[in-house]
Amino acid sequence: MATCGQGGRTSRRIGGIVLRAIVTLLMVAILNFILFRVIPGDPAGLLLDGSRSAVTSEQIEAQRERWGLDRPLIPDQVLDYLSATAKGDLGYSFKFRGQRVSDLLLDRLPATIALVGVAQIIAISAGVMLGIYAGWRRGGAVDTIATGGSLALYATPSFWLGMVLVVVFSTKLGWLPGYGAYSPGADTGSLAWLADYLRHLVLPASTVALGIMGQYVLVARAAMSDVVAEDYMVTARAKGLTSGQMLLRHAFRNAMLPVVTLVTLNLGYVVAGAITVETVFAWPGIGSLTVGALNARDYPVLQGVFLLLGTSIVFANLIADLAYGLLDPRVTQ
Amino acid sequence: MNKLPVQRRDVIKAILLATTAPWVMQSKGAFASSCDNIVRLGATYSPDSMNPFATWSSFWPTVFTYDYLVAVDAQRHSDRKGFAKEWSVADDNLTWTFKIWPGMKWSDGKSATARDAAFTYNYLRDSIGKPDELNAGWNSVDDGLKNVKSIIALDDETLQIVTKEPTRWPLDNTILIVPEHIWEDISYADARSTFRNDPPLVGTGPMIVSEFQQGQFVRLTPNPYFRNGQPETAGLILHHFDTADPIAQGLKSGALAFGLGLTAAQWADLSKDPNIQVGESRIEQRNWLAFNCASGQGEGSTKALQDPAFRDAIGYAIDQKTIVERAFRRHADPGVGLVYPAASDYYSDLSDIRRHFDLAEAGRRLDAAGYRDTNGDGVREDKEGKRFQLELIAGTRGGNLQIPIAAVQLIAGWLGQIGIPVSVTQLEPGALSARAAAPAKGGGGWDLLVSNDWGSPAPASLLRLGNRALIGGQNQSYWINDNFNQILSEVQVTIDLKKSQELVDQAARLIYTEAPYIMLCYPFLLQAHRKDCFEGWGTEDFIWSYFPVDRLRSK
Repeated sequence: MATCGQGGRTSRRIGGIVLRAIVTLLMVAILNFILFRVIPGDPAGLLLDGSRSAVTSEQIEAQRERWGLDRPLIPDQVLDYLSATAKGDLGYSFKFRGQRVSDLLLDRLPATIALVGVAQIIAISAGVMLGIYAGWRRGGAVDTIATGGSLALYATPSFWLGMVLVVVFSTKLGWLPGYGAYSPGADTGSLAWLADYLRHLVLPASTVALGIMGQYVLVARAAMSDVVAEDYMVTARAKGLTSGQMLLRHAFRNAMLPVVTLVTLNLGYVVAGAITVETVFAWPGIGSLTVGALNARDYPVLQGVFLLLGTSIVFANLIADLAYGLLDPRVTQ
Repeated sequence: MNKLPVQRRDVIKAILLATTAPWVMQSKGAFASSCDNIVRLGATYSPDSMNPFATWSSFWPTVFTYDYLVAVDAQRHSDRKGFAKEWSVADDNLTWTFKIWPGMKWSDGKSATARDAAFTYNYLRDSIGKPDELNAGWNSVDDGLKNVKSIIALDDETLQIVTKEPTRWPLDNTILIVPEHIWEDISYADARSTFRNDPPLVGTGPMIVSEFQQGQFVRLTPNPYFRNGQPETAGLILHHFDTADPIAQGLKSGALAFGLGLTAAQWADLSKDPNIQVGESRIEQRNWLAFNCASGQGEGSTKALQDPAFRDAIGYAIDQKTIVERAFRRHADPGVGLVYPAASDYYSDLSDIRRHFDLAEAGRRLDAAGYRDTNGDGVREDKEGKRFQLELIAGTRGGNLQIPIAAVQLIAGWLGQIGIPVSVTQLEPGALSARAAAPAKGGGGWDLLVSNDWGSPAPASLLRLGNRALIGGQNQSYWINDNFNQILSEVQVTIDLKKSQELVDQAARLIYTEAPYIMLCYPFLLQAHRKDCFEGWGTEDFIWSYFPVDRLRSK
């Protein structure tokens, strides 16, 4: 009975989390729709912006009709928007004429996931290890250097850090490319192309990784510092466990709770790209697409980017909520 | 207890060595320019589509691929001719005959004839007035095309354009000639929106777009059928960037051979590099201060903006020389009138009517016009007794060279000194377009605007800032003047260059006196190229259509 009751509670909890995520997503989609309708300026006018000769009202009206802008905002346009979004149809770009927003996002997404994903993996593995060790050996040389370094990196603007890396490793030493994702003319998909891609990835990924590593170090260190002062650690030591055993069997798992939260939340931002870093390195990801869309007032693309970002954050929160339940059984009780 | 950290250190060392060794071993040589006779050019622009009927920002790649019929290059440089080899106009000044290069071919090997030119013009012309009129890109319906009576191919090598009124448009127009066999089945709706014209393109220019990677580069390869033989270079790669920093660094590292659109600081830094040759070119960009001359809908905070005497007085408070020296570090010509020095056929320094910088004179003129500081608080009042507090919006149009914020600050400072406080709002290009749109489209409400435009050396382009038909488009001051438009109409139906020059001069003087704009400067395009792989093309001039990189000689 008790097990059945606990299982029911768990199911209800998971159901509640998923339902909350779905409602949040719906709200994100609706807000996204409203946001771009309250901005001044007629989208039909934007489509005709820059014309060499005077544009007639008939031409503006034709564009409004072509893109469904002549229909009532509520409920027609909003329902059309929600229905199309559910089918993955995010409309056409104003700037990149002839291209669907969904195609543009899918085209740029791999570069961003590669950049921010690799950077997150580096930052998480290096940052967490360093933070755990610094917390485990509080007050030691590693702790002092790691804490100071993390604060400095955390406070350093990533575009500046990127420029420094470009000047040193690309301009001065000539070791690595300073811009772009791969060299023109390469046979896409070949091993040579992959090697070239990885060479181009090193500097931007390092910039992003260095920028976010600091927070992992600091959170992991703080969590570990709390854990080492717990009674069960004293008990473990009294039982004769070695430092390594205490660290791996007891301290590490308990210190992971806040780190997991941070990791899952940050994963939500993977698809958002790193706008400044992508700009510095001319990296063709979602970040540089966003900058281009902002400059051109490409509302459909911006709407798509915001929706993608909102969705990924909601999804990351969902994962965090579910993972927390697994890591800490008290949450489900 | 100590074993674990030591082992970890060893592992980390091994990982670091393993990951860095290949990069170090490959060292500089692998990345630096290999002088492979391919020009790698970096510029701050943002190409979006290779369809010339739908793009403004892909000008450079498409202008290498497609030819103009004639355009300004062929008129200035005999070796830069376009689709037409020769041309003439009949005594009626209405009937133009163009002889197309005999035996010319498109880059796919098919014949390029007068029929393609006629198709391109008629494709645009037939769209006039239709809901999907082709007015969304570089190949766009313009007023000149509306003045055309007929465009027909008399045979494969002869194109005839008959205009309703005399006009230089057949020579000056900048419509890119496209192949009929590619475009004949493309509807207007698709041509202005969904047709992407994916590479490889088919053109008659020296270099053909063969690859376009959005957000990265456009690759062009030599046209095997180019009428003047193969270009000197093996190819061209146009890298596009959001900022000029990677361009400067790319030039230094050797990854780029050419860089365009550099900032003054980058230019000065690169000039110290012995491997790099810096240069600057006059271009057709003009930076200006516009007054909101609208009356009624969209008007500014004070009616003084509609008063030529007020605007003229402000003109005495703008020191173009200081703007050039301090904001542009001397990489610009001081602003005078509508016509930029790059339009050498039409430029005049207006020395006989030119204002000079004199804050006291500006103050006297404001007093005389009735804009006094009656209560002695240091701020003048307009004729309704309202204290001046002007809003100045500033921003750069997409694709144009940036206006340094220092220039805007100087202007605000000078106006403050003559009792006209100014608050500055810096806008990104999209917001600037929205606020500077025609009042009927929701624009206006600002007082002063510092911005720029990049035109051509043709009269219609030079005078477009005052064209009433282009209010909220190229006419950014919302200024309307019947005399100016009368002159504009005359220019558009004038073929004789001398007469055309006289009319442009009249218009330039009229608008200078009325002062809806104060010209600030005509900035230079700052560029640099590496000396180790290429010799220059023999001139530092900016070629209006495209840089003649196809004529670069490799070392």
